[in-house]
Parts: sequence; C-alpha cells; structure tokens
Amino acid sequence: MTATTLTFSQVLLANFRAAYARMWVRLKGSNREVTWMAAEILLPILTIGAYVILYKTLSLPASMGTAVIIGGTMISFWSNVLWNMSAQWFWEKEVGNLEMYLVAPVSRMAILLGMALGGVVNTSMRAAGILVLGIFAFQVPFKLNDVFSAGLVFLLTVASLYALGMVLASLFMLYGREAWHTNMLLQEPVYFLSGSYFPTIYSGAIPLGVQIAATAIPMTIGLDAIRLVTIGGGNISTVWLHILGLIAFTLILFPLARKALGYMESLGKREGRLTLRWQ
Amino acid sequence: MAIADFIRSARESFNVGWKIESNWTDPVLFATYRIVQPLASLLIVAFIVIIGSGAFGPGLPKEFLARLIVSNAFFVYVASVMTSMGWLVHTDRSRYEVLKNIYISPGTLHSYLIGRGLVSVVNGTISVLVTLLFSVLIFNGLLNLGIPLDLLRVNLLMLVPAVLLGIASLIAIGYVLCAVSLVSHRMEFILGESVTGIFFLLGGVIFPPTALPGWVQPISTVLPITYFLEAVRISFGVETGPYLLNLAYLTLATAATVIAGVLVFRAAEYRARQLGLFDRKSEY
Repeated sequence: MTATTLTFSQVLLANFRAAYARMWVRLKGSNREVTWMAAEILLPILTIGAYVILYKTLSLPASMGTAVIIGGTMISFWSNVLWNMSAQWFWEKEVGNLEMYLVAPVSRMAILLGMALGGVVNTSMRAAGILVLGIFAFQVPFKLNDVFSAGLVFLLTVASLYALGMVLASLFMLYGREAWHTNMLLQEPVYFLSGSYFPTIYSGAIPLGVQIAATAIPMTIGLDAIRLVTIGGGNISTVWLHILGLIAFTLILFPLARKALGYMESLGKREGRLTLRWQ
Repeated sequence: MAIADFIRSARESFNVGWKIESNWTDPVLFATYRIVQPLASLLIVAFIVIIGSGAFGPGLPKEFLARLIVSNAFFVYVASVMTSMGWLVHTDRSRYEVLKNIYISPGTLHSYLIGRGLVSVVNGTISVLVTLLFSVLIFNGLLNLGIPLDLLRVNLLMLVPAVLLGIASLIAIGYVLCAVSLVSHRMEFILGESVTGIFFLLGGVIFPPTALPGWVQPISTVLPITYFLEAVRISFGVETGPYLLNLAYLTLATAATVIAGVLVFRAAEYRARQLGLFDRKSEY
C-alpha cells in the first residue's frame, strides 16, 4: 500500500474547505440562539449607557459620548477574540473536540482562520446593532467625512485583532482553569489601556509609560484611528501612521501565530496535556 | 442539629469552591488576577473624570472622584457574586457533572449554593480591599490628586452592617440566578452579566440615580444595591445622607430578595425534579 501524495492545489483546497467548514459551524452555532444575539447587543448598551450618563453628569461634550459608543462597539470584537478565538482550543479540549482537530489532515491555521472569519461576521452583526442602538438611544454626534478611511482602519483593526487572537489561541491550547481567569484578566485592563470608554489613551493625564504599553495592543491604535476619522472628521492623511501600525501588527502576528501554534502543540504532546480535561 | 448540619455542609461546599477557584495557580499569581481586573475597572471611570475635567471641565471634582472610587471598589462584590453564581449550576451540571450527586447527598443544595456563593464573597473582599488601597496609592500617592479619601477614618460601625446586608441580598439574587439556570440551559453566558450590567447602570454606581431618565428611577429605588452602595459611601464619608434610612431600606430590600430567592429556587427545584433536569447536559 502506498501513501497518496497530494498536490499543492489539493492541500490548499482542503485547507480552504476546512476554514469554510469551521466558519459555517461558528455562524450556525452563534446565531441559532436568538437570546444570545439579543443579549450580545443589549448588554454592552447597559455599560455604554452608564458611561454616557456619567459624561452627561460631568457636563462634558456630547462627542465624548460618541467616543464611548464607538469604544463599546469595538469592545465586542475584543470580547469575541478573547472568548471565541483565544479560548476556543480550551473549550474544544473540554468537550473532547481538540484531538479531532489535531488528527485532521489540514493546517491548524485553516481552522483558526475559519473561526476568525465566522467570528468577524457574527461580531460585525452584533457591533452594528450596538452602534445603531447606541446612536438611537443616546443621540450622539458624528463627523464622518471619509468613509473609505473609516472602513479601511476598521478592517485593519479587526484583522490585527484576530491575528492576535490566533497567537493567544496557541497559549490557551495548554491551559486548564487558568484559561477562564486569563480571559477575565485580559478584559478590563485592555478596556482601560485601549481607552475604550474615554476619548483617547494619548492624553497628558495618562503617564507616558502607560501610553507606550497601550500602543502594543492593536485595539488601542485601531480605536484611536476610527475615532479620529468618525468623530474628528479626519481622513487618510490623519491616520496613515495608524494604518502602518495596524498593517505591521497583522504582518508580525500572523506568522507568529503559526510558529506559536506549532511549538505549543509539540509541547502539549510531550507533556501529554492536549487531551487533559478539568485541570 | 439541623442548623449545625447546614453550616457544616455550607463549610464543606466553601472549601470545595475555594479550591476550585484558587488552586489552579500559586498564591501570588492568584492574588494578581484578583487585583488587576477591579483595578482596571476603577482606572477606566477615574480617568473618564480626570481626562474629562482636564480637557473640558472647570477642574477636577475631587469629591465626585472619591465617591466613584468607593462605589466602584464595592461594586466588585456584585460582579463577583453574580458571575460566580450565574455560572455555578451550569458548571457543576454540564462540565463537572456532579450536580446530581450533590443533590442526592444528605446535605441540601441550599447549603451548597450558599457555601459556593461565599467563596465569591471572600474573593470579592480581597479585591475590594486591594482596590481601595491601590486607589489611594495611585491617585493620592503617584498622581498626587488630593482625593478626599482616608481609609483610616472609615466608620466601621456603619460599614459592617451595610456590607453584611448587601452581601446577603447579593447571595439571594445569586440564588435566583441558580434557580433560573436549573430550569434553563445556554443561559449561563447571559445571566450574571445581565444582572451586573443592570445594577451598574441603575444602582447609582458611577453617578447618582437622579441622573437617570425619570422613567427608570423607580427601578433604581427598589434595588438593594442602590442602598448598599449609598450606605457604604456614607460610612466612608464621601457622601452625606440619612444613613439609618438607607440601612432600613437596605434591610427591607434584602428581606424581600431573600424571600423571593428562596421561593423562586424552591419552585425551580420542584420543576427540575419533575422534568429530570438535574443531570441535563448541554453542549454547544
């Protein structure tokens, strides 16, 4: 008996089909529960609402409320990256699916790509709901002059966030109960560092060291760029540096994810932790 | 005897819960995890005020910032108890598959849930204390903002009853979340977070309830969290108001939530037994 050797195009096709299949599962799984979708739109509105009212209490300009709504909308992507991308291998391990992914004749990156694409579509639907509901409920002003730049920085932000999610996914592959705590740890601190609920982290009131640390998170740069374009009326010349930063993030994080995934998988095999449940 | 059994059962449940929540790592890392999240939450609201007042306002409203620090620190109890009890039934039923064993054991499910709820209270207490301490260090030490918050001048005679009543009401609400989890599935993602979000918006945490639109203010006035946080703020001296009246309202609201919690849980328990839901497994 001889082993069949697949051509490059056959391997590529198999990986695309795996990505599509994983995306389909994600789309179907997340949208079959209407209560989940409603909650994922309404829950952020509660927090956004609290911050918008705080701004009003302090008699601050309405544009700061706009910044909060945009920040709250983008947070839904970060939450999706954390819980449904980074921690996904952990969930899969808990329910016994991880070993099936590992024996499948496709790249792990194809599966992660499928997860990411499904996550982007799902979260975009929810983010649109948050944005529309937020604007309707709180009547905040926008100053959008350059739709192309807004769309470009949004797409680049999402791409870099999901690339970061792929890197984190490799870490979570070996996690036990710490997966939950690590995710919790990466929520509020990132909300703070990325300036999700205040106009910008790049303010004189924030120590320079914190601003530099915050710049290492793609969300910080992306959010700042989106706000400059949608609230400040900026265009591509205003955010070109942000765009370069986001492209750099994606180009660095994507291959890094591949390397990290390979390393963590072999480490997991050596330590026998890939099928360990209830750690 | 029955009370002694109940307490023993709750104590054992507490021990189990504490191990589940804490023994996945070393104590230093565990403490770090407990500190970073509430501190980041506090920094968000504090910097909203600092950046806002620096850029647009007449000056830093120091009294308001002190109010915000205390409210946010004690809101950790809400987030901790709601998240933990919102997930509890699902985790024990579907993930560890032990809920049915606990249910048929000689102790009751009530003592088990209270014991597990108290773990989140202890976790919350660690976070509250450290958040308060770090707040003073950051805002008055590092940033030298002169916030009128003196942790050594807290009126403990006022603080302790308010905290005990607040915790009792939170565990009673957590009980309701467990009851809902018992008769539902795929709701665990939503339960704790929804209640926490509603309390954050309506409980007067980061702004006075009077800042809310008129039509939602009545909801705020029936929530125990509103009186809990107000009584705590008064005991810290960052807000003036009728402490005893707040405590009376808090007592009433707590009694109502405890009664509602027990009734709702019993009804859910009955229904779960009828429908055989104690060992239902839900996957995604």
